[in-house]
Amino acid sequence: MDSRLRIVSVAALAALGFTSGACAPASHPAAGAAAATVATNYFGDTSPPAGQVLTFTNGAEPETTDPAKMSGQPDGRVARIMFEGLTTPDPRTLEPRPGQAYRWEMSADGLTYTFHLRPGLQWSDGTPLTARDFLWSWIRVVTPATAAKNAGMFYPINGAEAFSKDSLHDVSQLGLGAPDDSTFVVRLHSPTAYFLFLTQYYTFVPVPRHVIEKFGQRWTLPANVVSNGPFLLKHWRQSDRFEFGRNPRYWDAANVKLDRIVALSVEDVNTCTNLYKAGVIDWNTSGNIPSQFIPYMRQFADFRAGAYQGTYFYSINVTRPPLDNVWVRRALAWSVDRESIARDLLKRSREPWGRYVPSGYPGYTAPDPVGFDPKYARECLAKAGYPGGRGFRKISILFNTSEDHRRIAEAIQSMWKHELGIQVELSNQEWGSYLQACTSLQYDVARRSWIGDYLDPNTFMAMMITGDGNNRTGWSSPRYDELIHAAAREVDVPKRMAMLHDAEALLLDQSPTIPIYQYSSSELVKPYVHGLYPTALDTHPLKYVWIDHDWRRHPAPVADAGSGIR
Amino acid sequence: MFTFILRRLLLFIPTLLAIATLTFFMIRLAPGGPFQAEKDIPKAAVEQLRKQYGLDKPLGVQYLNYLRNAVQLDFGPSYKYPSRTVREIIFEAFPVSLELGAWALLLSIVIGVPIGMFAALKQNTGLDFAAMTAALAGVSIPNFVLGPVLVLSLSLSLYLLPPALWQSPASRVLPVLTLSTAYVAYIARLTRAGMLEVLRQDFIRTAFAKGLSDRVVIFKHALKLGILPVVSYLGPAAARVIMGSIVVETIFAIPGLGRHLVNGAFNRDYTLVMGVVLFYAAFLMTLNLLVDLAYTWLDPRVELA
Amino acid sequence: MSAALAPAPVAVLPERASGLWSDAWRRLRRNRASLVGAVLLVVMASLSITAPWLPGLQDPTAQDLKLSATPPAAAHWFGTDELGRDMFSRTIHGGRISLLVGVVGTLVSLLIGVAYGAIAGYRGGRIDEAMMRFVDILYSLPYIFLVILLLVFFSRSLIMLFVALGLVQWLTMARIVRGQVLSLKNQTFVEAARALGASDRRIIFQHIVPNTLGPVIVYTTLTVPAVILQEAFLSFLGLGVQPPAASWGTLVSDGARLLALFPWLVIFPGLALSTTLLCFNFLGDGLRDALDPQGRRDVS
Repeated sequence: MDSRLRIVSVAALAALGFTSGACAPASHPAAGAAAATVATNYFGDTSPPAGQVLTFTNGAEPETTDPAKMSGQPDGRVARIMFEGLTTPDPRTLEPRPGQAYRWEMSADGLTYTFHLRPGLQWSDGTPLTARDFLWSWIRVVTPATAAKNAGMFYPINGAEAFSKDSLHDVSQLGLGAPDDSTFVVRLHSPTAYFLFLTQYYTFVPVPRHVIEKFGQRWTLPANVVSNGPFLLKHWRQSDRFEFGRNPRYWDAANVKLDRIVALSVEDVNTCTNLYKAGVIDWNTSGNIPSQFIPYMRQFADFRAGAYQGTYFYSINVTRPPLDNVWVRRALAWSVDRESIARDLLKRSREPWGRYVPSGYPGYTAPDPVGFDPKYARECLAKAGYPGGRGFRKISILFNTSEDHRRIAEAIQSMWKHELGIQVELSNQEWGSYLQACTSLQYDVARRSWIGDYLDPNTFMAMMITGDGNNRTGWSSPRYDELIHAAAREVDVPKRMAMLHDAEALLLDQSPTIPIYQYSSSELVKPYVHGLYPTALDTHPLKYVWIDHDWRRHPAPVADAGSGIR
Repeated sequence: MFTFILRRLLLFIPTLLAIATLTFFMIRLAPGGPFQAEKDIPKAAVEQLRKQYGLDKPLGVQYLNYLRNAVQLDFGPSYKYPSRTVREIIFEAFPVSLELGAWALLLSIVIGVPIGMFAALKQNTGLDFAAMTAALAGVSIPNFVLGPVLVLSLSLSLYLLPPALWQSPASRVLPVLTLSTAYVAYIARLTRAGMLEVLRQDFIRTAFAKGLSDRVVIFKHALKLGILPVVSYLGPAAARVIMGSIVVETIFAIPGLGRHLVNGAFNRDYTLVMGVVLFYAAFLMTLNLLVDLAYTWLDPRVELA
Repeated sequence: MSAALAPAPVAVLPERASGLWSDAWRRLRRNRASLVGAVLLVVMASLSITAPWLPGLQDPTAQDLKLSATPPAAAHWFGTDELGRDMFSRTIHGGRISLLVGVVGTLVSLLIGVAYGAIAGYRGGRIDEAMMRFVDILYSLPYIFLVILLLVFFSRSLIMLFVALGLVQWLTMARIVRGQVLSLKNQTFVEAARALGASDRRIIFQHIVPNTLGPVIVYTTLTVPAVILQEAFLSFLGLGVQPPAASWGTLVSDGARLLALFPWLVIFPGLALSTTLLCFNFLGDGLRDALDPQGRRDVS
């Protein structure tokens, strides 16, 4: 029929066209080639934009651009463009470098940090920026009325936890002080190895008190906002774009190279990748490439993949029988063929991972992973009283709507059916219902994932403490809690890491969660974009970025990133 | 005429009230709430937020508060995007959706009406069949397939048009095309039926018999009446366009209102969803009223009751 | 499906109608496109109905990750999906769900629409006025929101999908039936029944409703593809049937995202879906020409 012919021919054309991007420019239709230059080993168009302008996809529309209240990658990217904390991350290693503070000291007991601010710091409207701005901003985060989602990151600070939980009301008891305009002092309640890393995080940046008090919730709108980072917000259209220009009052303005940054709020990952191929954007940020395309992307020089501090796992509701039985949980954990999921289904776009904490934390020795051993899994199930799956009730796997989650759930459903002989149904829910079911423990097994906030295993381990809001399994172990708390107090790094090791070993043995894979970052960066390096937390300070209009005559920026990660 | 419009406008009030009530309680009954996230939000923070938005009050009180504010066109701040009010979000996003929908409907009329007329004039011939098949093909391909196919072929292979966004006139081509194809079939079908009916009427036969040229009869006399079914279809069509625009806005990353309707429901952004639903309802009712008025203008036989 | 497509149940009709039906049949037979459509639909429907028992058809949920996303070949005519499942089987089984949703969803709308429209039209006056105003109100609701909420709130069962989609479609049906009833209720055979002391209910459902059958059949035939498309739309939003089951809508919306990599994932289910929709539309148009030669305005 007519429609059949039409679909086939268009699809065939489309399939051809897709690969033609990879072909030599000569084979490219002349008409389109005028507008777009297609290089041999790059994905799509590689003509640089006019001027020093960087356009990138930022994922879903950020919920808020108030750094104190936000959590989430797209929101964070916006905050990092506009604001700067006491320290600023090194573009390659993310080590804290001098930011608003030009130097700092830690006391011998590891409890007191003294930061010295740069002289002459200003907000973008010319108002002086002092240590009191930091004091006010940090107190704001831990004030319950602010409803800051990341307030928990402040808990190493003396009194912060009690203050944010509304049981301490006296500001003077918080471990924060501004003895003079250029000195900011932080007292921790116990030594925290990763504290300095936190000071570059967006939740720790100063926010303009004079603007917030004037405009309230609406202070972040382009007409009102005042910031202290390398760039200023110029334009913001919801679900469309953010546009930033230079901040002439930024202390390091002379070294900022980009004149303009455009962050597009594009939710659909296929659309993001299409925009990249067509050359509309210069950088497709991590997580915005459909996972199925990643194997195909590896052939292109502008594709980058790297380790990423995130794990994908299934959490088990241990309050529901028969999942309260540790042998059942072990059976479920040991019958998941992670290798096959990563190799065959995900086409190596992810690393199979049998642990809870992802790899790559300096100084941390991980315990033995959970593996794939169907025989052992069946023994476990028999020990639990369900030999061959007999008498085992049907359980369901909960996941939120996403193709990636769905195919993994389908694979695991089939594995459990096949290896254990148990009946598994899938429950695909939209976001709101999914979250409600997770937090109120109305599920059997649920898909979850966790992305590290700072370079320390604690960012993963702390959430499995009894009653933690992110635990969401009902699992509770006094021994585990004790280990985590003791580790937090321990100053000696090897000892501390050993405690965390024991805690993770305990967690894996008790299996309230079933690790599946480790995330990897994957992004597309046009060859003319310099200064954007692969980093472990997918954080990229854009003040170092510039557009090289002569890139063909220069060495490829990917090579000068010097990372063997690709 | 005046009383007709007045009566219809008065009817808006109970209708919108009914819709507001229905929506308010339905979304509140849905599991979950606006202050949940993948990362846990501290309990104190959630309580604070609930207090800020008045969600700690009894549901009845919240309902009355909502109605009182909504009457003044104040739909409150969005829960999900707290720096903006729902009204701002609607007024920013709706013009985009309106433009997208209007272009799409216009295009489908420009394509569909001639196809329908042509098919009617060649009734029961191979040409009739071919024309209607072409029109029906459009409605038989879901727009979430057509969109990617067009993008892949026209913008990613031939580099002719931008693959997404809503900026230059060129970037509007693919989304409008994707959205319009589904309506071409309906409009062609209605035009064909309308024309067939008109062509049978005595005055047309008389006109032909009097020796007037085909062109004059068809375009001056027949088309005006034959197109009537298309006019009355515009109301329901607008409702369908809203649904279609959800898909198109997603695929092409267009900052329109359709996505807010769906995402607002998924995120339990109570105020946003309520605002968008009420707005769309008012818009559709107004449109239907205009369509009825247009109908009487085109067809003097119809009297307004 | 059979309800929508079966040759009209001539027996229930009063005498005057039988000539109309044979005329209609004669007209329909002349319409080649409709006949081809009908035949293809019968083939599609019988494949779907018998799918679980078809010899050689693989289990649509049987996975083999080693065969992930292989192109069409002798072993798998339509290729395999990412989980290594046979796409031919999944397409056939997908049709099962899509056609079921289409037909049952339409039947739900038919039931509500015919009853509602018949009562409104027969009672007339204020009742009619009020009932049709209510329909107008629902027309102005962005109903997709209603469907989303229903599916969110009442969990995503197949039954809920039927109800939600039926609820969306009954409005037009009600309008059509009401219009028909209005013109029928003063006809002689109705008056005769009334004179014989038949109850209102009996008159509506035994005498009037069967005579509205022509337009209703036409509209029903055109509603089925609309419902199938709507289910596909819901699948696009992630609100379709629960995996591992998959309708054409699910297969096509997932496949469309991978068009550039694994085109067979969208081409085959897409062809099945589009062909079916086209067939229903041809058949509907043919039936309209046959049953309702005046051409109705409100059928859209």
